[in-house]
Amino acid sequence: MIQTFFSRTGWFLLLLLLQVLVFNHIHIMGYATPMPYVYFLLLLPSNTPRCGYLLLGFLLGLTVDLFTNTPGIAAASLCFVALLTPPLLRAFSPNDQDDEVLVPSAHSMEWGPFLRLILVTVSIHCALFFSIEAFSFFNPESLLVNIGSSTLLTTLFIVAMELIRGCGKH
Amino acid sequence: MPDFGIRECAYRRRAHYTAMHNLLEFFRKYNYLFLFLLLEAASFSLLFRFNSYQGSVWFSAANSVVAEINGWYEHVVSYLHLQTVNRELTAENLRLQQENNSLREALTTAIRDTSVTEHIMAERLAGYELIPATVVSNSRERTNNYLVIDRGEADGVHSEMGVVGGGGVVGIVYLTGPHHSLVIPVTNRKSSISCRVRGQRYFGYLQWEGNSLRKACVDDIPRYAKIRKGECIETSGYSAVFPPGIFVGRISGIHNSSDGQSYKLEVNLGTDFANLRDVNVISTPYKAEIDTLRRHAREEDAALQP
Repeated sequence: MIQTFFSRTGWFLLLLLLQVLVFNHIHIMGYATPMPYVYFLLLLPSNTPRCGYLLLGFLLGLTVDLFTNTPGIAAASLCFVALLTPPLLRAFSPNDQDDEVLVPSAHSMEWGPFLRLILVTVSIHCALFFSIEAFSFFNPESLLVNIGSSTLLTTLFIVAMELIRGCGKH
Repeated sequence: MPDFGIRECAYRRRAHYTAMHNLLEFFRKYNYLFLFLLLEAASFSLLFRFNSYQGSVWFSAANSVVAEINGWYEHVVSYLHLQTVNRELTAENLRLQQENNSLREALTTAIRDTSVTEHIMAERLAGYELIPATVVSNSRERTNNYLVIDRGEADGVHSEMGVVGGGGVVGIVYLTGPHHSLVIPVTNRKSSISCRVRGQRYFGYLQWEGNSLRKACVDDIPRYAKIRKGECIETSGYSAVFPPGIFVGRISGIHNSSDGQSYKLEVNLGTDFANLRDVNVISTPYKAEIDTLRRHAREEDAALQP
């Protein structure tokens, strides 16, 4: 339990620092910004209360916001993602593990469903984030390019982290 | 029946309990939804509070929506208030018209007061009682004109009283009613007012010949009188209708009378009879006295001539 807590705190701080120090400075072609801190919500075990999801998502988003001078944007979008994560996890999880506690990973869920889960959550987050940031649909093409490229890049980084985590476990 | 009542009551209580239970269950089950809404509200308040761009968009958008709704509301309310507004406007209009009227009168009085004629006349009339009156009817025909003023016997107006206006002599009261009086103005052929040339003692009678409302003439001025055009004609005071020295007009021409024995003076009247409104009736204090003396004189005459 304590180990889990420290593990979660560690992931929280790691993702936060990576985002603040590294990923926020990446703007490929001026559009794509990776935001792999969504990964933190995907790591939470399936028996986490939904309020816990929401609070943790909000807290992580808020801290990211504090460092990027965009108060409220990441908090709002990540909070929404936190609301949707449990049903998505239930939808993509293998059917035979309904009763047990699922700790989502490529290993426990197979790559296919896990990749789809990552893609859906990350695209929702990116869409919300950039919509709120633009706060208008005045320039839909650039907004869509922003969302699409950032989703792809974020998914790439999350898959990379998942691979590194999988390697570390074995 | 009572049995049914009790069962009904119990059923209702159970139903009530179930409803409450369901409600509590709903809250317990979906409490995260409320938390979500709370956190989203917090996020967006942060967003609008600390991001100038989103804040400005939000406030301007919100303001335009609010302004639109307020506009509808105002539109409806203004329709509901139209009747009151209309009544108020009518009252205001009436008040303004009255004010405008009184101001215009004050203005004309003020303008007229500056004239020398008025000033001199006021001095001359200082010892007399003046009854202010307004002309309510004014005929301006070519032959015989009459004026009606809104003061009568109730106000102390009697026949044979003089009437003066801002420009000088107007006429003489002819008939009186309780509240109105008929005035024979200078511009009537029956009018005959005793006049003199200012500064001299020659006198004659002011007659109207019916040509122009601005012109009258004075007969019986002796040929040896030294008279020039532009001199003033004023009342002589002999008839006791007008006090002496009330302005009548100015000499505009000197002609021979029809019999050649005297001058006939053409006079430009000081009073504009085409535009006459405020006049004063002169109540001469000595008129009764003079009339009594005349009557005595007539009686003496009658006594002397059997």
